[in-house]
Amino acid sequence: MELSPENPLSAEPEIETSHPEEFVEQLRCVSDSLPSRINIDAEGVEQGLAKLVLTLIEFIRRLLEKQAVRRMEGGDLSPEQIEELGLALMKLEAKLQELKTQFGLTDEDLNLDLGPIGRLI
Amino acid sequence: MSTSFDQMIVSEEWDSTDLSLLETLDHVLNRGLVIAGEITISVADIDLVFVGLNVLVSSVETAHEVLRKRQTE
Amino acid sequence: MNLYAYCLVEDVDALDAAPLGISGAAVRLLRVGEFAVLVSNFDSDTVAVTRENALNHAAVVRSVLDRTTPLPFRFGTVITEKQLSSYISARKPALELRFALIRGCVELSVKIIRELSTEKSAPGEITSGTTFLEEKRREIRGSEQSATEANDIATWLHEQVETLTRDEQVTVRPSEKLVLAAAHLMARDKISQYKEIMAAAREKRPELHFLFSGPWPPYSFANIELEFKSQFGVS
Repeated sequence: MELSPENPLSAEPEIETSHPEEFVEQLRCVSDSLPSRINIDAEGVEQGLAKLVLTLIEFIRRLLEKQAVRRMEGGDLSPEQIEELGLALMKLEAKLQELKTQFGLTDEDLNLDLGPIGRLI
Repeated sequence: MSTSFDQMIVSEEWDSTDLSLLETLDHVLNRGLVIAGEITISVADIDLVFVGLNVLVSSVETAHEVLRKRQTE
Repeated sequence: MNLYAYCLVEDVDALDAAPLGISGAAVRLLRVGEFAVLVSNFDSDTVAVTRENALNHAAVVRSVLDRTTPLPFRFGTVITEKQLSSYISARKPALELRFALIRGCVELSVKIIRELSTEKSAPGEITSGTTFLEEKRREIRGSEQSATEANDIATWLHEQVETLTRDEQVTVRPSEKLVLAAAHLMARDKISQYKEIMAAAREKRPELHFLFSGPWPPYSFANIELEFKSQFGVS
């Protein structure tokens, strides 16, 4: 573990890529483990709560979809049941979309970062 | 969750196309030894300020003090 | 009087010229037991996250990298001397272990972008519950495949460098373009070998876009605490 003062490391960390614009775009969007933001204005608080609630609903909705697909593939649902299930889930998706729009939230907003476990969705 | 990272980039302070800066930010802001809890405060989505809360700093002396107090009560 | 703390070091008795720190303050060495800390005076509780401060922080930590491997603090570590001393004496064994891991090493980073193929059916085409579910099934199978591929990329990358690295921190995000971010910890004499291997590896995967950066002080390998973060912070 010898350090070699004769070959010092370069003063700036070197960056090397053949696609700088793509990485700029991605690194700007990466919402990593940054400290939580506290927005000092009332609207922000309400939006924060809406975001939390909708995130959980969205999570459950996706679980339901996955379950429904699994049941459909498993072959234990009749065509009528599949149709009914599909319609119900379709309406749920539309309803949630409505709510997102109402609160001005995007899909990205609803994606909780759970740190080492990864994203919620 | 909402990213102050996004907000920081939007502010005029940052040259948002500077890849070297973004990589540096990724290292100094997202990693490193954390000895203080922190919250980031933004007002009207513009200013971002780190508040060091020192919640994780354990004072050995304080812990001993508490024990000593209990023993004398 | 608060201090702004940049990094912990071992085996350093004196600082040669260090760059200016946060808010242009002078950086000095504070001895704490068997360790020392690079600090500067700081007269507030809050640090503005500005470009200049972030770069200054990085430069200060970087300035000792030629002679030793520091244990970098995260940006924004504002603390009193007393708290710093308490912390270091309370965490001494863990810090010693951490230094044992990073001693003589540097960190090199890899980030990988892959193109996502998102074929969603045009809205309005789905008229029945059954076609809705069938479309969902296609999407779900697609993203499962995507996750498998993402993990394959991570495994492949790991195999390229596992003989060179002492440790690694990898984040995989299957549903994103930036599918992987890896930090590799390695001894300094392995750097050129690592670079050669990475250059060759990237040729083998033309469908992926790579970003390499480094060498860095070992930011990704510094933390010894379980981080307390409120994931549901109001924002």
